Amino acid sequence: MKKALIIPAAIAVLILVAFVTVNAYRVPTLHLPILEGDARPATVRTVEYVVDGVRCRGTSMGFARMASQGGGVVSVTTYARTRSAIVEYDPTVTDPDQIREAFMAPVVRDGVTYQFFNMLSQTERD
Amino acid sequence: MRILRTVVQMIFLGGAVALLAKGLAGVVPANHNCEAYCPFGGIAALFPLVKYKAYTCRLTELNMSLMISALILTIATKKSFCGWICPLGTLHDWLRKLGSRIFGRAFYVPREADRWLVSLRYVVLVLVLGLTWTVWGGDLGFRAYDPFYIIFTWGGHGTLAFSVYIAIAVVAVALFVPFFWCRYLCPMGAVLDPFSRAGGLRIRRNTDSCTDCGKCDRACPHRIPISQVDEVTARDCTNCLECMVECPEKGALELSCYGK
Repeated sequence: MKKALIIPAAIAVLILVAFVTVNAYRVPTLHLPILEGDARPATVRTVEYVVDGVRCRGTSMGFARMASQGGGVVSVTTYARTRSAIVEYDPTVTDPDQIREAFMAPVVRDGVTYQFFNMLSQTERD
Repeated sequence: MRILRTVVQMIFLGGAVALLAKGLAGVVPANHNCEAYCPFGGIAALFPLVKYKAYTCRLTELNMSLMISALILTIATKKSFCGWICPLGTLHDWLRKLGSRIFGRAFYVPREADRWLVSLRYVVLVLVLGLTWTVWGGDLGFRAYDPFYIIFTWGGHGTLAFSVYIAIAVVAVALFVPFFWCRYLCPMGAVLDPFSRAGGLRIRRNTDSCTDCGKCDRACPHRIPISQVDEVTARDCTNCLECMVECPEKGALELSCYGK
């Protein structure tokens, strides 16, 4: 009878391990290079946003399209689990505030205004 | 033992229902539903992960980690994932008991047909993965047909108008035919099958104490002929321990862990 306790014990341990190890590796939902090769600027800066609305590969594509519409975005990498988006940009062309305004811009479709993305936090990296 | 399993089942089913309630109330992000915790998502994510180094659709590292945990759990304790964790498995288990109370018996598929029908879950597995990785272009199109997703997201994103009828049909059939979805159609069950065969925690029959009364055979919801084997190696054993609970002879059925 005591051996039956192995089952809930194993379940508890393995689920705990799953939740602990989930942060050990990070694979993007989307990695989209926009300026590649010769088009890639010499100086690139990075900003990380936490964005309400980035929840899957499809919404990540939409985010990348909107974030890069003003130009100067080098690449967009998103992580759906943490709703984060890492944007590389050319500091001579754009800045984090302009990128934020681009992806948070309202979109009008069939007379209805949508705001697909809402920034929750913004962190600039070196 | 029965109480212990019921408590564990209630924890996981309660978690799925809580996620559903939170989703319906809009207090959690749209991608934070039962799908985020589904280990089968880890299987669906494998090919795009290897080929594109990126996840498909809403799948994340959590699906991968839980998939690995589910496989290790199956190697250690056979299909206890199905019998103790899976909310859809719990729903089927409780519907089976409810059906038996209402109708006084379970309506099992004849053994000869059952032998063929169990292979259907492999067909479903191949179809789901094949379509996800090709025709559906990485989208989780199986959502529209997956009773787990339909029930625990209440027709969430990606489901279709007819999806709710699939869920109703699965629930209705489960009242008559025990574990109909799990036994014949569940692709996760198909993934776990080979690992379950190697499962270390098994029920062992002590032939000296066993009186061959057959109560264990009748108690097994998966119709495993326990009284005819020395050790339960059947892939469908979920270690629900119903046979041990029903066994009238002390020590006739025992759990053995890697032969000890």
